[in-house]
Amino acid sequence: MATIMTKRTKGMPKRRSDVAVNVMLTTGAVLVLGVAILAIFAPLFTAWGPVQIDPTAIRQAPSPEHILGTDQNGMDVWSRVLYSGRIDLGVAIASVAIAVVIGSLIGVVAGYFGGWLDAIVMRILEIFQAFPTFILALAVAAMLGPGIGNLIAVVGVVSIPSYARLVRAEVRTVRELAYVDAAKTSGIGSVKVIARHVLPNSLMAVRTVAPLNVGWAMLALAGLSFLGLGVPVPEPEWGAMISQGTSDIVSGRLWTTIPPGIALVVCVLGFSLLGEGLQERETRRKSR
Amino acid sequence: MSATPLLDIRDLKVDIPVRDGIVHALRGVDVRVEPGEVVGLIGESGGGKSMLARAAIGMLPYGTIADGEVLFGGRDVLEMTKSELLEHRGHGVAMCFQSPRAALEPLRTVRKQLADRLRPHRGLTGKAAVEESERLLRSVGIVDLERVMSAFPHELSGGMAQRVMIALALACDPGLLLADEPTTGLDVTLTRDALDLLRRLAVEDGRGVLLISHDIAAAAKVCDRIVVLRSGEVVEEGPTQEVLNAPASDYTRLLIDAVPDLDRPITPMPVPPETAAPTVKVEDVHLHYRARFGRKGHHALRGVSLEVRPGETVGIVGESGSGKTTLARMLVGLVEPTEGAASVAGVDLMHLGRSGKRALSRAAQMVFQDPLGALDPRRTILDAITEPLLPLGVSAADRRARAAAVLARTGLDETFLTRYPHQLSGGQAQRVGIARALVADPQLIVFDEPTSALDVTVQAQILELIKELNVDGRRAQLFVSHDLATVRSFCDRVVVVYLGEIIEQGTTTGVFDNPQHEYTKALLAAAPRLHRGDVAAPPSKGTK
Repeated sequence: MATIMTKRTKGMPKRRSDVAVNVMLTTGAVLVLGVAILAIFAPLFTAWGPVQIDPTAIRQAPSPEHILGTDQNGMDVWSRVLYSGRIDLGVAIASVAIAVVIGSLIGVVAGYFGGWLDAIVMRILEIFQAFPTFILALAVAAMLGPGIGNLIAVVGVVSIPSYARLVRAEVRTVRELAYVDAAKTSGIGSVKVIARHVLPNSLMAVRTVAPLNVGWAMLALAGLSFLGLGVPVPEPEWGAMISQGTSDIVSGRLWTTIPPGIALVVCVLGFSLLGEGLQERETRRKSR
Repeated sequence: MSATPLLDIRDLKVDIPVRDGIVHALRGVDVRVEPGEVVGLIGESGGGKSMLARAAIGMLPYGTIADGEVLFGGRDVLEMTKSELLEHRGHGVAMCFQSPRAALEPLRTVRKQLADRLRPHRGLTGKAAVEESERLLRSVGIVDLERVMSAFPHELSGGMAQRVMIALALACDPGLLLADEPTTGLDVTLTRDALDLLRRLAVEDGRGVLLISHDIAAAAKVCDRIVVLRSGEVVEEGPTQEVLNAPASDYTRLLIDAVPDLDRPITPMPVPPETAAPTVKVEDVHLHYRARFGRKGHHALRGVSLEVRPGETVGIVGESGSGKTTLARMLVGLVEPTEGAASVAGVDLMHLGRSGKRALSRAAQMVFQDPLGALDPRRTILDAITEPLLPLGVSAADRRARAAAVLARTGLDETFLTRYPHQLSGGQAQRVGIARALVADPQLIVFDEPTSALDVTVQAQILELIKELNVDGRRAQLFVSHDLATVRSFCDRVVVVYLGEIIEQGTTTGVFDNPQHEYTKALLAAAPRLHRGDVAAPPSKGTK
């Protein structure tokens, strides 16, 4: 009478262990929170302002005075990297929030009512999705011109279609469920049925995709700024800093480009780990 | 009995580690199946039936700790290597899954699915595979070979899908067939056919069949022996007739008594006075589901006329697809009739606007088939029960009080109000469903198969509750069901629906004792019955 541990047979998908998921989630949270704290409390970590010019130190290598050196305007790189976090995090989160809210509303209305309304809305969204997202963002940004408000709008608007589709797909399933029928027979109107039952139960995918998307939004924002379509010049922003510093690379002054690059990588990695960890946890809860 | 049984499970213990401790799914179970024998494994959900089947086929969930022996032809399945298991599954033991439509690969035709199994396991390709496939399908009683072979699973009816499933299981000529609730979701006539088929496979081919079921009446029809499982332990085992006629354990007796008996005499209920105005008035109603994307529409109701008076309970009987659920949904405003005249408590169903729907919700409520599915997983029980009160403008405090009161009537205390659906059992969830239907005090309640998703013992309790709640007899009730015995014990009048038409209606005793229509007769003949009282001394009625 042997005690047997049935083993995972070959070909079965590998499951990450609970520990691995927790490590992902904590690492992601630490990275994101770390950057956020450094950005929000930037004045505590640096004596220099982000646009403050030190005329005695232009293109200076890292020193005790300027720990990451200065750029061609004599601005402190460390300080600019910190303050950039405010803009990059803020714009990315705000744009994803806009996309989630508007996209979910469009998706839920189209999916719930169906019919011609659904057909028209989905065709319009498909037209938008036919363009590569970043190219679309470029075009819209070029039309609107630079500025933080415009950036939020651009990065947000281009990801509306994907959220609308995600939500619509879930709504199509949820609206057929018995509890939605039950709600309809209780005499409450469509708006209430949607608000109470359909929408809250259709946000599963959005909840896991949104954090991943914040990472993407930061990249898009940095990319636009790098191309000069984002934040106006003196403002600190990672993409713009890298763009400004490109001329320094050939002359070996790497301190103007590497730090904002690392900051971007850390943020994107953090949000990816968070998103993936949340997704994993969600599927696990479902399978239990 | 032969010397070596086909399947010999000895003292099997299965433990499943969960977050806070260990679930003992099986606690030392012994089950034997001989060649040519049909053994029924009976029990309610959570009893360990499925775990036992998984052990027999060597598919215990990952991380499970199994102790004991699962001997198949003398070899222990638990000790088998991966390659031995591959051989064992299919050739040794084959499984028919609970919902055949879901267990068949949706993107491959029946022909391809059979070929998929015949090629690796038996080396049959091309013409040989086709011929063998046809032989298999014929052996499970499929005549329409051409159509079925090239059909996708969604194009098959439930009964047909079940047969294909069995044909697939038979493809590798297994010694033992495991049938996990093979009749769930099938109508009485199809259930009978499926069970007859299993019986035939055992008798003619000398296979062992292990029939897993919660339905003791179905099992009684075909099984040589019955094993009753409860909380991972065998509470009773023996030849079918002995178990049925003289159950040794109280639990078995409970299961048997919970089966509504088609042959038990009933007292006709007093017919309410004809003078009362009918609550439900349906006259020559047609309902067309509109065609979508070139597909043909579906004519679900074809000229249905029906009246239900206050205090009356009317049973609607028919097979799936007959239109009985459409009729029920129409009466609560979930679908709109296309032609005819229909009203509930004076609310015209033909053109329900916003205000019409609100008025109808006060007049008619529905109790759903899947009690847990009818509750929003993110909302508390309080929210669920009080929802019908929202359009009536009842204050929050009043809503809570009324919910508590109505919940008490269904036998649940106030602490349930703050719970969420996943914390409820199926029976509790259906009590909540009934409470919700009652809370706004409607004139009509439509019960759409309210017990079909529940365990038998719970079914009996819920039916009892429904009866108790209408003692004052003011409400009209419609009871949709495919379970004839339940309808018989429960309803004043019966309406038989077939292909969207009412083919017979009358008093319950009238329809059951003297069916007029051929279809009604066939339906009655196919219903599973427990043959009680075959033994000289009938079993005592049992202590309540």
